[in-house]
Amino acid sequence: MSSGVTALTLFDLVIRSMRKNIKHYYLYFFALILSVVLYFVFATLQHDPSVVERSGGSMGAGFKAAGILLLFIAGIFIVYANAIFLKRRSREIGLYQLIGLTKGSVSRLLIIENSLLSAGALAIGIGIGILVSRVFLLLLMKLVGFDGFIEVEFSTVAVIQTVIVFLGIIILTSIQMIVAVYRNTLLGLFNADKKGEHPKKPKAFRSAFLSILGIALIAFGYWLSGHMMNALLFINMIVVLATTILGTYLLFRVAISWLLYQIRKRKQGHLGLYNSLSLAPLMHRMKGNANSLTIITVLSAMTLTMLAGMYSLYYSTDKETRLILPFDFMLHDFRNEDGEATLERFVGELDNQNISYTYTPIEVLRLDGRFFEEGTLTKLIPETFPANIVNGEQLQRAGMDFEVPDSGTAYYYDATLYWQMKTVAVPFNVKMSDANTELNMRITKVGEGNVLNPLLGTQIVVNGEFYKELKAQFLNDESSSRIANAYAINVQDRDQLAEATAIFKRINKENNKFGYAYYSQYVSAMEDSGLLIFISGFLGLVFLISTGSILYFKQMTEAEQERSTYATLRQLGFTVQDIMRGIVRKQVFVFGLPLLIGLLHSIFAIKAASFLFMSDITLPASIAMGIYALIYLVFAFLTVGYYRKTVKAAL
Amino acid sequence: MMDQHKTVLHAQNIRKSYGTRGNVQQVLKGIDLRVMEGEFVGIMGASGAGKTTLLNVLATIDRTTEGSILIGDADISKMKDRELSAFRRDKLGFIFQDYNLLDTLTVKENILLPVSLGKMKKRVAEDQFKTIADILGIKELADKYPHEISGGQKQRTSAARALINKPSMVFADEPTGALDSKSASSLLGTLEDVNKERGVTIMMVTHDPVASSYCSRVVFLKDGNIYSELYRGDKTRQAFFQEILKVQGVLGGDSVDAL
Repeated sequence: MSSGVTALTLFDLVIRSMRKNIKHYYLYFFALILSVVLYFVFATLQHDPSVVERSGGSMGAGFKAAGILLLFIAGIFIVYANAIFLKRRSREIGLYQLIGLTKGSVSRLLIIENSLLSAGALAIGIGIGILVSRVFLLLLMKLVGFDGFIEVEFSTVAVIQTVIVFLGIIILTSIQMIVAVYRNTLLGLFNADKKGEHPKKPKAFRSAFLSILGIALIAFGYWLSGHMMNALLFINMIVVLATTILGTYLLFRVAISWLLYQIRKRKQGHLGLYNSLSLAPLMHRMKGNANSLTIITVLSAMTLTMLAGMYSLYYSTDKETRLILPFDFMLHDFRNEDGEATLERFVGELDNQNISYTYTPIEVLRLDGRFFEEGTLTKLIPETFPANIVNGEQLQRAGMDFEVPDSGTAYYYDATLYWQMKTVAVPFNVKMSDANTELNMRITKVGEGNVLNPLLGTQIVVNGEFYKELKAQFLNDESSSRIANAYAINVQDRDQLAEATAIFKRINKENNKFGYAYYSQYVSAMEDSGLLIFISGFLGLVFLISTGSILYFKQMTEAEQERSTYATLRQLGFTVQDIMRGIVRKQVFVFGLPLLIGLLHSIFAIKAASFLFMSDITLPASIAMGIYALIYLVFAFLTVGYYRKTVKAAL
Repeated sequence: MMDQHKTVLHAQNIRKSYGTRGNVQQVLKGIDLRVMEGEFVGIMGASGAGKTTLLNVLATIDRTTEGSILIGDADISKMKDRELSAFRRDKLGFIFQDYNLLDTLTVKENILLPVSLGKMKKRVAEDQFKTIADILGIKELADKYPHEISGGQKQRTSAARALINKPSMVFADEPTGALDSKSASSLLGTLEDVNKERGVTIMMVTHDPVASSYCSRVVFLKDGNIYSELYRGDKTRQAFFQEILKVQGVLGGDSVDAL
């Protein structure tokens, strides 16, 4: 026996210690299983034939990128959980060495344990993954607007991929364990749970300066996020990111410690129970907490922004497509195109198929437009533009819900330029001209989207009376070609839209032409945004679960470290309810502050990104943020529950 | 002389057993004890005699299996957990062997903790703190954290915390157990002063005859029963100490084991 521990007894020790320490393990085990399930589901979907078939290039690339990101998150999450797990067991590790196991034996013990745990988690995780991947596939297909029959095939590739990835993670965590055993002294291992800094008086000038700097950096980041639409867009984005992240760190590291210190100082020793359970332990661990709170805040902000943005995209796909393509189909006879003949053929075929439709010709006066006022001149928009003057009353007859401008003024429409033009102050003037005549026109509104399907350039809408005046002024023998017709067709029964679109596409193809149809645009936009919301939702969920779990694990450890405090307090005559009130106050800080600041960051980020949308995204963004906050708060409730259990058992 | 005083604590037929059916271990086997206002009672006995169990039961931290306990006019054996908590906070003070100070709080914050949810006004609490910190000689430590002060100072802080709410009774569980002899005698001297000058009733569990020689009465436990009692009366501490040693010798206490 003195020659060392044989493999068998070491293995016995492993089994015995695992059975005895099950409550320490379950947390780490849970983290492992969760990561396996999520990764496996993702890998399954990535290789699923029905996804691959429908995805084409863009979908596959999206999945690949998300898979790599997922890998990183899962890796970081597991390493973090393992670190907490190791810290909780440091006394045990020390004890093994105290009774004479060598560092090598202890490492071997831990690695055997880790391998057993990981193998178990891998098996259970893949099992659960097989069960739930169907649910996720159904969700994905629903999101991209596919409602046929779906079958999930068991994917060997996904299993192999998952196993390889987690083998890598096992190696990583094993290295982590070896480092923990070899780098720590025995004394350090025994005192690991007593570590904690003691709050010192902050240096007034330095703290004040850094606090103000932190807040100023965040404020600057917010401000810049609203003003980054210029040639330096990319640099601006980096600066916004850097300033807000650094500002957030300073906020947690300096400003909040300083604030807490001031509050405490003002109490002059009369801290009271609630502050003793919230403010004091927070200050005690502020250095370590600052890092994790910053990471969680930044991660939350990014996740929130991604989720809110993608959900807004998905939510407004229908609306946005309609704004770009206000009519189901449109043909025209501009540039000597033979729109009328195509129209006859198309309408004829619609009649043959018994598809009912409305048809309206819309007359367009084509002039050369030109921005000349300072407010409208930017580097990003060309100075001149093709102007299609349209009579608004005709649009109303074509079935558009539309308000006609006053006589002598006009509305400006151009979906491709809307994101730039919507920030331009109205009214402004533009110059309309042809070869002989020139006219200043007053624009009183920049409308959302288009009033005619695209390929026609900017649209200027006027009322009937003004249109007649313009026509009289500009139209003469020389420029009769400036009048053209667009033909708007809307299908009445929406169920026949797909059929009508097929006919439209066929005719266009035979004529060697490319025509935009609302429906096909809508379908492909739905597929893209459905995929995006699925991937980002999936990643968001993983982010959320990781950050929530990390906070939960950390708080769990803290609760155990403070068990003796709760015992003392209960002996002194404080009830469980009294103590819980103080603990809830701490949790409001620990969970609430990152969420609140993360939300604030993401609101500004979404505001900055809202130029991508023509419609208002307040509602979908709020929904996404609300759901995120709700799931996040579940972890706060779990944590409070764990504390309650600890406090109750303390006496 | 004693009968002029009020009874602070009156325990009758206290029994306490642990374990489940078939494997019951009786730790306290019917103890009657009366403590008068202003007494400084020491509880002695060998390990396993039931000292700490008795203290916990009397101090409302643990419940009896049988028997009644009156503290003042209140029958604590009939109280609910919530009432007990409130009672402990308002009426009792505690000093523990390992101080049980909150590491995250300063000395002053620790001392003021028991009055934090009470009705005591901040001004009154501040005055009370100053008085007690003065008596215990820890005034200048007010803003220090427990890790910055010595064991003796920690125990003084703990004692101050026990006295801050003007308790009817202070319970001390081996308060000198973790202290060196100099700090121990200094702390005990202070407790004796507090007991004499401020009339605070103290009950202290200890296995150390030196510590119990500071008491006005020592109760010896053996196997869950009261074995004997000694009153100090007008004797010197040294004489009282010798008496205690004698009883302990008969009892077969820790010191005899050591020989």
